[in-house]
This record gives sequence, C-alpha cells and structure tokens, in this order.
Amino acid sequence: MPRRRAISPPAGRGAARADRPEPYDDTVTASTAPAAAVRATYGRALWLLTVRDLKVRYSTSALGYLWSVIDPLVMAFMYWFVFGVVFQRPVGEEPYVVFLLTALLPWMWFNGAVGDSTRAFLRESKLIRSTRIPRSIWVARLVLSKGIEFLASIPVIAAFAIATGATLHWEAVLVPLGIAMQAALTLGVGLIVAPLVVFFRDLERATKLVLRVLFYATPIVYGLPDLDRIGLGGWAALNPLTGIISVYRSAFFPEHLDWFAIGVGAAISALALALGILVLRRTERAVLKEL
Amino acid sequence: MGEIVETSGDAHPVVIEATGVGIRFRRNKRGRRSFKDLLASRARRSRPDEFWALRDAGFTVVAGEAIGVVGRNGQGKSTLLRLVAGVLLPDEGRVEVRRGVAPLIEITGGFVDDLSVRENVFLTAGLHGMSKADIAARFDEIIEFAELDGFVETPYKHLSSGMKVRLAFSVVSRLEEPIMLVDEVLAVGDKAFRAKCYRRIEELLAGGRTLFFVSHNERDLRRFCTRGLYLDGGRLVADGPIDEILARYAADHPTDVTGA
Repeated sequence: MPRRRAISPPAGRGAARADRPEPYDDTVTASTAPAAAVRATYGRALWLLTVRDLKVRYSTSALGYLWSVIDPLVMAFMYWFVFGVVFQRPVGEEPYVVFLLTALLPWMWFNGAVGDSTRAFLRESKLIRSTRIPRSIWVARLVLSKGIEFLASIPVIAAFAIATGATLHWEAVLVPLGIAMQAALTLGVGLIVAPLVVFFRDLERATKLVLRVLFYATPIVYGLPDLDRIGLGGWAALNPLTGIISVYRSAFFPEHLDWFAIGVGAAISALALALGILVLRRTERAVLKEL
Repeated sequence: MGEIVETSGDAHPVVIEATGVGIRFRRNKRGRRSFKDLLASRARRSRPDEFWALRDAGFTVVAGEAIGVVGRNGQGKSTLLRLVAGVLLPDEGRVEVRRGVAPLIEITGGFVDDLSVRENVFLTAGLHGMSKADIAARFDEIIEFAELDGFVETPYKHLSSGMKVRLAFSVVSRLEEPIMLVDEVLAVGDKAFRAKCYRRIEELLAGGRTLFFVSHNERDLRRFCTRGLYLDGGRLVADGPIDEILARYAADHPTDVTGA
C-alpha cells in the first residue's frame, strides 16, 4: 500500500506523478452522463423510494392492502347513509355506491398525496441532506405511491359495479387521460406546497383545511348536473378536479362526461405542474439550507 | 521517467472545480420570511440577518488527490463538503463535480427504522446510484465488513447505535464512486472498527479514489491527505501541501494542537 503522505505535490496543479496510483474512474456517472442516463437514474431513485413507501406502509400494519379498500368503503357507506337515507335527496346517480367510488377513490389519491407532500421535505430531511438525487423526487414518489394504491383499489369499483349491475361504457378508455391529468395536477400542487411548508409551517394546516373544503366543493358526493341545477355548473369547471372526475365517472355514467370541464381542468393541471416546477427551482437553495 | 502511461486521454483529469463559491445562511433560523423574499432571484445583496458561511472559495482537484479540509469549528468546512456533495447549492459561483461522489456525510440518515437490514442496504446503496445487481454481488461483503452476520433480517431500529454506524459506513464505502467525501464520521464507533475504516479508506485511496476529508485530527489528516485547504472565517485562506497547511493552522491556533 503506497504511503500517501510521502508525496508532496504542487498544490492543485495536478502534475502527473509516477508514485500516485492510477485514478479510479468509471467514466459514466450521474454528473457527466447523458440525458438518457440521468433519466434512468431519476426513475430508479423514484422507484426505490416509492417501493420503500409501500413497504413501510404494509410492513407496519397487519391489514396492509385491505386498508386502501376499507377506508373508501367506510366513507362510501357514510355518505350513502347521510345523503341517500337521511336526507333522501336525489343527488348523484344510481347505483350510488359506484357513482361515489368512481370519484372517492381518485379523491383519496389526490388528498393523500397533497396531504403528505406538506411533510415531503421535513420528514426526509436527513436523507435529503445526504443524497443528491433531484429534489422533485421527494414529492413525485408520494404521487406515485398513492397513485399505485389508487390503481390497486380499482377492483373494488369493479366488484361493486358487477354486484349492482352497473354497465361499463366506451368512455372507460378515457381513464388513462384522467390519470395523466390527475398525476400532473397532484405533482404540481405537491411541488408548490412541499417547499413552501419548509418556511411557513402554518401552510401545513392551511393545506389540510383547503383539502377538506375542496372535498365538498368537488362533485364527489354529488354530480356536476346537481351543480348545474343550482346554476353553479360553470364555476365548477374552474376546479380542475371537476374535469378529472368527470372523466373517471363517464366510464359508468357517460352523461357526466363534460369536455368543457375537462379542457379547463387539463389547462389548469398543466399550469399547476409548470408552476410547481418553477417554485421548486426557485426555492431549492433555501430549502436545502433550512433542512 | 515519471510519466504515467496514459490509458485514455488525461490520466489525471480535473474532477472538482470550484470557482468563486459563496453561500449564505440566515443568522436566525426561525426568523420571519416573506413569499416575495423567498422567490426573489438569488443575485440580491446580502441582507443584515444573513452571513456568508463561505465566500470566494476557488480550487480545482484532479483525480486521485487526497485533500484535507482544515479549520476551526464554524469556519465553513462541512458547508464546503456539502457543496461538493451537491446537497447544498451555492448562492454565488459554481461547484462543478465531474465524477460520481460517495458522500460519507450523515451516513445513517438514509436508513429506515421499520425496514430490515437487507432492505435498507438495497435502498441506501440504490439511492446512491448502485444497481441492484451490483448491490447483490457485494451484499455479503457489506454485511461482513459491518460485522452484522445474523442480523440481515433484523429491523434497522433494533440495531445498536454502533451497529448502525458500521452498517452505514460499510454501505457508503462500497459505492463504486471515484470521489469520496468524509466528514468526521470516523469519530464514532469503537477503536477496532475505526482502525478498519482507516484501512478501508487507505485501500480506496490506493485504488486511485479522490478523497475530500474533513477532520480536526491532525494525525488522520497527515495519514490520508497530501494537500490541505485551510478555511478561516468562511474564506479559503490557504491551499498547499498538508504539512504546510497544518503548520500554518498550528501557528494561527496554538492551543488547538495540544487539544486544550
């Protein structure tokens, strides 16, 4: 083993010295690699953290996957009881369970990912301080892991659709569009919220409150036509979730497909994503200092 | 004589290049801050509640160099290391790191309490850019070095603190990255394991890795490093052979040498 301190180099000039070992160099690394390799690295880190999220969630609970089913079922039962039995108001469509779940499950994806993104940086501060992976991954992984839970809960809708005899329409092919819009919107909102919470802790509670309001402001327990009836249908389109849910719902209730709401929703989702990327880029330095 | 047979291009390329690097922090961590403030461009003037932790630092490092960062507490040593690691971004100037980095900084930070040792090894090594196949091939080596045989399926939270540090060092020091950043991690762990860590670092140095080393221990600095960077008051005040740098540091701070 060569004694390192035996050599006394002209500092920093890097003159080649015979007694120095050949530098270790594996040439292609994250910092020098072409764009394709960077994307692959991003994807791998994102996937690792997403799997970690899911593993942690399921290794620490006995019921595991069942929770992502039980939760919406209990909520669906409650809303059915309140709106269908107690108030007896004719909102939504029959079968109400299917009508509710087609909006409630996507809502839980949005709600879960945005709610968790308030702590995306704070909770992982130690890891963020020791790895240089792109900071947007800390939010993207939440969107992805909650999105996977959403996909995993789709069989619940299928089961209820079969049990209640709801018919699937061709509009079901639009579901990927809904998923793409929702992923963009959720990621965008998460990227705005996550860094700002680091500086304004109040924003965490404010976000939770806004999410609660948004739940009732979005056609979930009721439908878009119910808003039209009281003259608020046009305004509802300004909520990007209205368009997104209209896409999902049209699979079983084609008359809920509203292209105006979808168009506005897609535009706002794209805007939210662009804004999120901008906010993270602008605040990244300060976030890293603060953690 | 003295010419190294060049295999491909420059045998000792510049791997780290820092020019005019500056970063400032707020003095009062809980201070007020406005949205406008936060989103303003970074070219603003320094405000009164901020101080420069590091400023106008510039240096280049060529492949295979072993650099020790010297300075008293709070003079910007760890900040410099974090900038090189890419986990802090400079407010001024730029730090260009042209090779992959294995940061031995807060090494236990990436481990998850509820996951097993095995899952944690795959997770942390993966986040640092190692492929699954590479990790699998080196898994036994990592466990053996960490002296954790028989604990592979144990949840991380049930390990002792010494075990945690051993595991973390073992994982990060196995990364196949050409640049190593070491921030006083060697101050922890028992004597025997520390000796083992030293041997590992020497092995890596002999293999041609570039080392960036922060320590208060003069013996360690002399042992590993050939070149020193001396930071004082957030400025890079000297850059030269480690012996000269340590002599200058000792002259500036006579009490530190005796450890008083």
